Amino acid sequence: MIFLPMLLIKRVIPFCAFLLLLISLKAQEETLSPLTFTPQWLPQAQFAGFYMAQEKGFYRDAGLEVSIVHPSASVMATEQLKRGEADVISLFLVTALSKRSVDFPLVNIAQLSQNSGLLFVAKKSAGIHSLEDFNGRRVGIWKSGFDEIPKSLFRENNYEIQWVPLLSSINMFLAGGIDAMTVMSYNEYDQIINAGINPDALSVFACSDYGYNIPEDGLYCLQSTLQNRQEDLQRFVRATEKGWAYADTHREETLSVVLRIMTDAHVATNYAHQKWMLEKVLELHQPGSKHVSSGELAEPDFYKTLRLLLEGGYISEKISFQEFHRNLMQDQEVK
Amino acid sequence: MSLHPQKSIVARILFYVLPPCVVLFLVSLSIFYVSSKRTIEEMTHRNAELITERTVLRTEQVLKSIEKITENNIWLLENGELDEADIEAFTSRIVRDNLEILGCAVAYAPDSFSDPQKAFTRYSYRHLGRITSRGLDNETYAYSLQDWYQLPATLERACWVEPYFDTGGADALISTYAVPFYRRTNGKKEFAGVFAIDVSLDWLTSIVSSVRILDTGYAALISRNGTFVTHEDKDLIMNQTIFSYAAELESLLLREIGRDMQAGNRGFATIRLQEVDWVIAYMPMPSNNWILAVVFPKAEMYAPLRRITLILVVLLVVGLGLLSFIVIRMVTHQLAPLHGFTETVHKIAGGDFDVPLPDIRTEDEMRDLHDSFARMQCDLKEYISNLQLTTSAKEKIESELRIAREIQMGMIPKIFPPFPNLNELDLFAILEPAKEVGGDLYDFFLLDESHLCVAVGDVSGKGVPASLFMAVTRTLLRSIGPRQSSPAAMVSVLNRSLSQNNESSMFVTFFLAILDLQTGQLKYTNAGHNPPVWLHAGGTPERFDTAKNIPVGLFEEHAYGEHECTLLPGDGLFFYTDGVTEAENAQKELFSDERLMQCLGSSTDPDPRKVIECVRACVDTHVAGNEQSDDLTMLSLIYYGNSHEKHLQN
Repeated sequence: MIFLPMLLIKRVIPFCAFLLLLISLKAQEETLSPLTFTPQWLPQAQFAGFYMAQEKGFYRDAGLEVSIVHPSASVMATEQLKRGEADVISLFLVTALSKRSVDFPLVNIAQLSQNSGLLFVAKKSAGIHSLEDFNGRRVGIWKSGFDEIPKSLFRENNYEIQWVPLLSSINMFLAGGIDAMTVMSYNEYDQIINAGINPDALSVFACSDYGYNIPEDGLYCLQSTLQNRQEDLQRFVRATEKGWAYADTHREETLSVVLRIMTDAHVATNYAHQKWMLEKVLELHQPGSKHVSSGELAEPDFYKTLRLLLEGGYISEKISFQEFHRNLMQDQEVK
Repeated sequence: MSLHPQKSIVARILFYVLPPCVVLFLVSLSIFYVSSKRTIEEMTHRNAELITERTVLRTEQVLKSIEKITENNIWLLENGELDEADIEAFTSRIVRDNLEILGCAVAYAPDSFSDPQKAFTRYSYRHLGRITSRGLDNETYAYSLQDWYQLPATLERACWVEPYFDTGGADALISTYAVPFYRRTNGKKEFAGVFAIDVSLDWLTSIVSSVRILDTGYAALISRNGTFVTHEDKDLIMNQTIFSYAAELESLLLREIGRDMQAGNRGFATIRLQEVDWVIAYMPMPSNNWILAVVFPKAEMYAPLRRITLILVVLLVVGLGLLSFIVIRMVTHQLAPLHGFTETVHKIAGGDFDVPLPDIRTEDEMRDLHDSFARMQCDLKEYISNLQLTTSAKEKIESELRIAREIQMGMIPKIFPPFPNLNELDLFAILEPAKEVGGDLYDFFLLDESHLCVAVGDVSGKGVPASLFMAVTRTLLRSIGPRQSSPAAMVSVLNRSLSQNNESSMFVTFFLAILDLQTGQLKYTNAGHNPPVWLHAGGTPERFDTAKNIPVGLFEEHAYGEHECTLLPGDGLFFYTDGVTEAENAQKELFSDERLMQCLGSSTDPDPRKVIECVRACVDTHVAGNEQSDDLTMLSLIYYGNSHEKHLQN
């Protein structure tokens, strides 16, 4: 009889505790809300914050079971959102505004990037040293989407540009098929450098220096998703913010995760380029001189973008800022 | 065996032989190393260059053959009026006829096909062993924006497009050779489209991958934009450009090398990456301006040299060890008899003259040494035996001389005081011959109860002849004395006796005096002898200033005269031979008459024994241990007169 309490302490109590733990874990798993996020491009350091939020369990901690599904060459992020295959996507502001319509009521739930990484680069050897020198030149521009700002910029200055549509390669520029091209500071610019052209051989013009500091990456969902799953979205947005903060403070770890994800997805890459990209993207996230809280889309930026799209004829209807942007990072907790 | 350089010949030989050998070897090795290093560098560089050239040539052959296919077929596109079926047949035929071709595309520029409403394209490709054809113009594939179309169309020349990894079907690294084609419309050349051929780069990577140089050296292929097309490190392929790799390794030099490659230069570079020095030889491929680089670790280039050097150093150490061993063995062997000789010498020195010499079988210096030793041993034996004979003869003579001396000394009176009953007089004398026997003599005897005869003489020459002459003189004196009453008569008789039959012409200086003990009257004759000293009682000593006369024994008929004086009680006389005044010190200074007079003057005790001891001490002080060269004779007497008896009674 004297052994019974010892037996209880040694065997029965730990076993009960283990059972309780299993039950509670199961319960927690069951409460995780599934959410699919689609970035606007293939895996790269541009999306490091999302990867780290996933990797470090910030989404799970927020009660979300997030799937990060990258778009394929044939199906774009907007298409996946439209089809309901993604709950949240990331998009450039100009893309989102130009794609938004009555049938496709996109809502910006957090603005991540506050600055424009859009640059024009030209070889100095082509004789381009100032913006005026672009007049009459062949300038490469991406076919898929982000041509609104460059075209608007030159239209404003009344320059005649021979626009040469490009997919994503810089080979036309390197081979001399075009005199200049638009690049993202965090991506193609570094690709050009990594193709052997020294920075001092290039003339670089940042759109932000010419009044076009248009914010880029933001998080978008459909109006209906916002109404139905606001709490999940808010948790997602905040966990994402944590992910970006972690990426900022743990860059080497972040890079190794990015490289692993890219390798798994069979996307060609290298350390140096992703490191460059991470640094530049993190710079673009900084508000700089703009007075914005985190996740906020500055109203002037919104109107400037809207105006250039209207003037360029990319869209025909005005959009309400209040309808378009709802900063879930700063919103009150939803009861 | 000691190897101390000061103590051992072997050590000394090693000390002088080994360091020059080491220095010589090290100098030779350094020269060998430096020149070999240069040669190896040149050879390896040349080899790398040759490998690069050969590989480029091999790849060029294939690339050229691809280019040839387009050249041979493009006329059809430029001149023929082709419909859709013709073009599909055309592209299919090219793929079918050329196994190295994966796919072939003809893409007309929009509006330039025979049916201007269509942007016609046709692509034939191998798929699952069959040749399939399809169009390329669809929503997801904008052919006119693809590099293979855009580049030749824009640049208006044939291009090798940057390689890409096809995951669609070929699952291979592919590069496309694309050529623009033109149409003449109204005599005007217009761009009509692009003719492109997809080629798998497997053959190229296998050629490049098969290149080997040294142990781990390899070749890499780099595209126009710097992308690694082939590389030992598979992770680099299609992921990195040489420039991104340079950025990752933070090597500006690598970037510069990449730029030099891109500029179409061929060359060599040495670069340190990840703690390893690499040598890179590179060369562009003429067709597509891709770069072939041969890379190898610099250290491997020198590996054989290091091996040889190591072997040489080991050989040096072994060789020097062997040399030392041989030197030690040879020298020790050659010098081994010396130890025997050393022992022999020790034994000979110990008196064993018959000790056997070491056995020498060679006919060299050691044999000479042996013979010399043998001769020395013989001579030594002979010498020692002679020495023994001589020594025994000498010892015999010495023994005889000793006896002669005893006889001679026995002839002169040596008992002092000589006349214990005579109160008027005291007397003391010494005779110290320079050799065993001498030619000095003194004598004194009473002629009657009141007359004392005293004589001192010095025979010319020394040794045995002088001693014999002295013996004769003394014997004659004793026989003459009692029969003559005056000194002159005694000396004259003595002279006559000695002069007769004196064939050796020896002579003797002689002083003879007769003292009347009652009166103190002294009669004396000096025959060529040192005049005696008159020691006045309480006064200064005075020499007998008399004519010396000629010595006794020279002229038979010479008549000697005599002188006379009277001694006062307390007066003394001091007789001596020239052995006293001519006693020499080491500086050859004579004792001299002056020093004698001084000495006698300083003597305070008139007792004859004390006077002689005093002079003896003066002479000893003067000669200071220098060897006595002449017989030394002194005789001193003191005359007390008749008053002496009263004095004694008192």
